[in-house]
Amino acid sequence: MSEATEITVVQMLARAYAIEREAQSRYADLADQMQVHNNTELAELFGKLAEIEGKHAAKIKSRTAGAELPYISPLAYRWPGAEAPENVDISVAHYLMTPHHALKMALAGEQRAVEYFQDLTDRAADPDARALAEEFVEEEREHVELVKKWLEKYPEPEEGWDEDHDPPVIQE
Amino acid sequence: MDTSLATEPLTPRDYKSDIKPVWCPGCGDFSVLGSITTALAELQLAPENVAVVSGIGCSSRIPAYANCYGFHGVHGRSLALGTGLKVARPELTVLVASGDGDGFSIGGNHFLHACRRNIDVTYIVMDNRVYGMTKGQPSPTTEPDWADSALAPSGTGLRPFHPLVIALASGANFVARAFSGDILGTAELITEAIRHEGFSFVEILSPCVTFRPDEREWRNMVHTASVEPTDDPSRAARRIMTDDGFNTGILYRGDRQAYTPLTADGTPADPAVFEQEFEL
Repeated sequence: MSEATEITVVQMLARAYAIEREAQSRYADLADQMQVHNNTELAELFGKLAEIEGKHAAKIKSRTAGAELPYISPLAYRWPGAEAPENVDISVAHYLMTPHHALKMALAGEQRAVEYFQDLTDRAADPDARALAEEFVEEEREHVELVKKWLEKYPEPEEGWDEDHDPPVIQE
Repeated sequence: MDTSLATEPLTPRDYKSDIKPVWCPGCGDFSVLGSITTALAELQLAPENVAVVSGIGCSSRIPAYANCYGFHGVHGRSLALGTGLKVARPELTVLVASGDGDGFSIGGNHFLHACRRNIDVTYIVMDNRVYGMTKGQPSPTTEPDWADSALAPSGTGLRPFHPLVIALASGANFVARAFSGDILGTAELITEAIRHEGFSFVEILSPCVTFRPDEREWRNMVHTASVEPTDDPSRAARRIMTDDGFNTGILYRGDRQAYTPLTADGTPADPAVFEQEFEL
């Protein structure tokens, strides 16, 4: 079993808040990319995802009852993966990507968040922090189910979805 | 630029401008922008005390996307501009951004001498081994057998330029290799490079997904350097020359004092005196 952690309730709230804010920022970046490349459907979808993450962040902030969350510098989080768990991988974006691809990315992000808080549930020494982590696990599981349901509307596109017969950049 | 006094700690988002990048989705340069803004947030540098200077190419668009002072210069001259800026305004944190074409071909000579001069600037090169902006020609770091370019259909057959070892041999005080896909790892290296006195060089493997889709595989090829950084240049050179090109981390950290312009009597030069000389 992994080592116990001394994480406190406010530290966990700060981390949960950072996860949602980072995800919001990432989706906003992707919305911009898609808008620049005229994939308006995806621009709207990523914009919507950014909005949802912003609401999640606001909800977490509201739980602090006005108290300041501790400042943690970007590199001090030491996330278990390469980035904050809900951040979708920006490097797999494609200008012709479809809602199916975007929602698959979102689903993977929500699943990583479940794993992250499950790990804290297993390791948090403080009972209040553990209870909070359990709550976050449940919330993230709900998000997973919501994204799965959303994804049902968008079946996997056929092979060749990324072929562009009139590409915006072509070697000369 | 918003220069209002911040009361809250700055976040990476605060260092991004409102201009939407025009890079191709999937381009490694998006991640590098994220790493630079994260490093600036980590160091909590006031945006008005930071300047990002660049040359020409896809990666050189970065000053427009950063919320600090910026200068999008001419092809290959980013280091000349960055050097001049740092000498004139030593209190600024100067980041110089470039690509493998801009930095090692037309800008190659400036690269050698910037390393030699050891001015306290951080040089970030986004290396995708291709000229992307001009639509896919081989660059100085392209593999000799890359044959997907209409300009060199059988490959160039030329030995690639080895920027890290050239930097080391020329006197760079800090040499590191990063991978754009590792945003926080790259941010950590840039943070260390900014903190380190003297000329710091960070080569970032940054895939061009449009003209080099094969570079998406880099994600599975990079690995963290298994040894601690060294301050011994000959040891570092051996390591760099014999690694597989995908070893990331700080590969050399020297202790050479950064160059400080001095007056004839040996005291540090006052930029205000230079300014007076150029007054009309």
